[in-house]
Amino acid sequence: MKKLLMLMVLGVFLLTGALLWASGDGQEQEEYDEDTYGPKDPIIWVKPVKSVVFEHKVHTMQGGLECDSCHDDLFEMEAGVAEENEDFTMKTLYEGGYCGACHDGSTAFASNTRCTACHIGARGQARLLGADGATEKTH
Amino acid sequence: MKIDDLEKMESEDVSSLSSVERRNFLKIGFAVTGMYLGGSVLSLVSVKNAHGASASGVVPELGKYPYNPHYSMVLREKLCIDCERCKDACVKTNNVPSYGFRTTILEKRHSLGEDKYETIFVPVLCNHCNRPPCVRVCPTTATWKDEKTGIVVMEPSRCIGCKTCMAACPYNARYFKEEARTVDKCDFCFQSRLSKGVMTPACVEACPADVRVFGNLADPASRVSQLVHSPETMVWVLRPETGAIPNVFYINS
Amino acid sequence: MKGNNTTTMPTSSVTVPGNKLMWLSLFLIFIGVAGAVYAQVIGHHHAFANTREMPWGMLIGVYAYFAIVSTGLCLLAAFSHAFGGNQMAPLANRMVWLSIITLLGAFTVIGLEIENVWRMPLGVILHPNVTSNIWWMGTLYGIAVGVMFLELLLILTKRYSIAIILGVVAAITEALANSNLGSVFASLQAKPFWYGSQLPIFFLSCAVLSGAAAIVMFTHFSHLLQRRQMATDTFQGLQTAGKVMVLMTFLVTLATVWKFINAYASNDEMIMAADSLFKGPLAINFWVFEIGLGLVLPGLLLAITRLKSISVMTAAAIMVLVGQFFSRFNLVVSGQIIPSDYGFVGVPQYLPYTPTVSEYLIVVAGLGVVGFGFLIGERFFDETFRTSAH
Repeated sequence: MKKLLMLMVLGVFLLTGALLWASGDGQEQEEYDEDTYGPKDPIIWVKPVKSVVFEHKVHTMQGGLECDSCHDDLFEMEAGVAEENEDFTMKTLYEGGYCGACHDGSTAFASNTRCTACHIGARGQARLLGADGATEKTH
Repeated sequence: MKIDDLEKMESEDVSSLSSVERRNFLKIGFAVTGMYLGGSVLSLVSVKNAHGASASGVVPELGKYPYNPHYSMVLREKLCIDCERCKDACVKTNNVPSYGFRTTILEKRHSLGEDKYETIFVPVLCNHCNRPPCVRVCPTTATWKDEKTGIVVMEPSRCIGCKTCMAACPYNARYFKEEARTVDKCDFCFQSRLSKGVMTPACVEACPADVRVFGNLADPASRVSQLVHSPETMVWVLRPETGAIPNVFYINS
Repeated sequence: MKGNNTTTMPTSSVTVPGNKLMWLSLFLIFIGVAGAVYAQVIGHHHAFANTREMPWGMLIGVYAYFAIVSTGLCLLAAFSHAFGGNQMAPLANRMVWLSIITLLGAFTVIGLEIENVWRMPLGVILHPNVTSNIWWMGTLYGIAVGVMFLELLLILTKRYSIAIILGVVAAITEALANSNLGSVFASLQAKPFWYGSQLPIFFLSCAVLSGAAAIVMFTHFSHLLQRRQMATDTFQGLQTAGKVMVLMTFLVTLATVWKFINAYASNDEMIMAADSLFKGPLAINFWVFEIGLGLVLPGLLLAITRLKSISVMTAAAIMVLVGQFFSRFNLVVSGQIIPSDYGFVGVPQYLPYTPTVSEYLIVVAGLGVVGFGFLIGERFFDETFRTSAH
């Protein structure tokens, strides 16, 4: 009787474990495809100000945008080109340029709201780059 | 009481309140609900914070400023994006060594439920308190409040390096600068700029988002005065419970 | 060597072991000062573990420790001298000397700790700040050491009636200096775990406790060094010091208990600071050394043995003195250990602090000064220490 009980308990554990493992595996399987969704690593702009983050994943895989939604009208496909433009400023965004094309308050949150959603700052950049700028020791 | 009598009484709704009364009322409401500070700001005692703010008011009344010019800074917190241009400008202007800072940016997270949170960057600097604990404790009066401007200044040649002012400061605004053999701190760029006729601190000039507003609080026409005295604006300070009466104010509008 | 001992020349017996110990204490002072010079050359921000957020560390604790021992000795000496007829009177002259040398030990440590000590003598005179506790503390301790030297001179030249007056003046000055030392911490609103009106009184209680312990220990050491039988009145004096220790271990324990109950009835910052001692990074320092070794064990030992054994009393005295050392360290660190910006991203709950070699060396310098002073006293003032006349 005792043995049977033990076996049942063990069985339940194994089954649960397998299910959990399988579900974990399932999530893993939905792989991020860079050809479909764009570069996996976040883009960090440091001009004109430190530091603004853009994640393709959020906009394509999660947001449902296509590559040609932004490329090459709003942004050159080549990394770092927008950053060099004189007009890569908040003012241009407010006038509908670059991110401002969607971030206008109707399609997506307006460019003059929720600053820190994209502006991760020097601290956020340091964190993304691995150097844990947040725990820097000060004298 | 009859209905007629009720009608004769002064209305209790907000429309009949003066703006100051309305503001005080709002403060109490925020204090009670704990929303006043949008969580805890530096202080770990949010209730005490709220009380200190609503009971005595963190912004002195107009015309009750002990200095003229009474220099102060208003930080429009939500606009800060931690680009740290202010820090860089401060370092350059005031020869701040790599291990120290006169002003810096802190980061806090405001939970939006689940895994989501909002990031808030909080610029901090010397609060040039009206009742500065650092000044009280210095054994050699190496630091004092400038009689004209209210700026808390340092005289390096008097500093013996006992670091009591560093322990006494509620705002972590002081550090020991080994090169100069003195405690160093923000002086609103008094030495590097104001005294030479440039009327803004370097950090204010460098800020691209207009977060830092500097000016004379005693002048009702000044932008700082108008920002902290506009009735709709919530104004808070850091660690009001220490009784230091800071002159750096935080707003979100 | 033992054959050299004579009863007519009691000072000669101390020469040989005393000489060795004196060289040892001079060596301690030397390496301590060498450590301090090294720290000054490479900069305190490299040599010490202190940071912007934790500007004070072990050395401030050790300074307070020596100053508190000094105050205790001075107070007990004045009581014994002024009221006479009590059993501690035979110890009083030694207490005056020990009070002086522990204060000099304190000055050594603080002098080597602060960054620009050379600016201090003129600075505190030319630019005094009467609202500064540090200023009062320094000034009053400075006056006290001067008054005590004068008192010692009068005792040595047997002008006892003026010496008593100076002893009382010194005791009052030391008590005021000591409570200002307490208020250096206790008046800082920015550090809630220090803040409060009872800390200066707590310091005075610790002063009486550690002063009593110091006189027991040093008197016993003196007898060991001089290879001398203890006179009955001296032993009875030490028993009275032992009674003071029993009473004060109890009172200081009680004060500590209430301090914690109050902290746990307070806000988050107070609770976290109390936790740092109770179960956090300072827990071993607190439970094992400050409470167990420093208060409970000596208190129990003294009570159980009913002050019959000089060895047990000395053991208890050493325990108290070690415990008090940790108590000062714990106080200094626990007051600053919670970051003022706790709750912001990347800010730890507890700031790290582990003293460096340089800091330990400066402590060694302080101990060297006290040891050297003790031996000087044995060599030159032995006769005075053995007389209770005043």
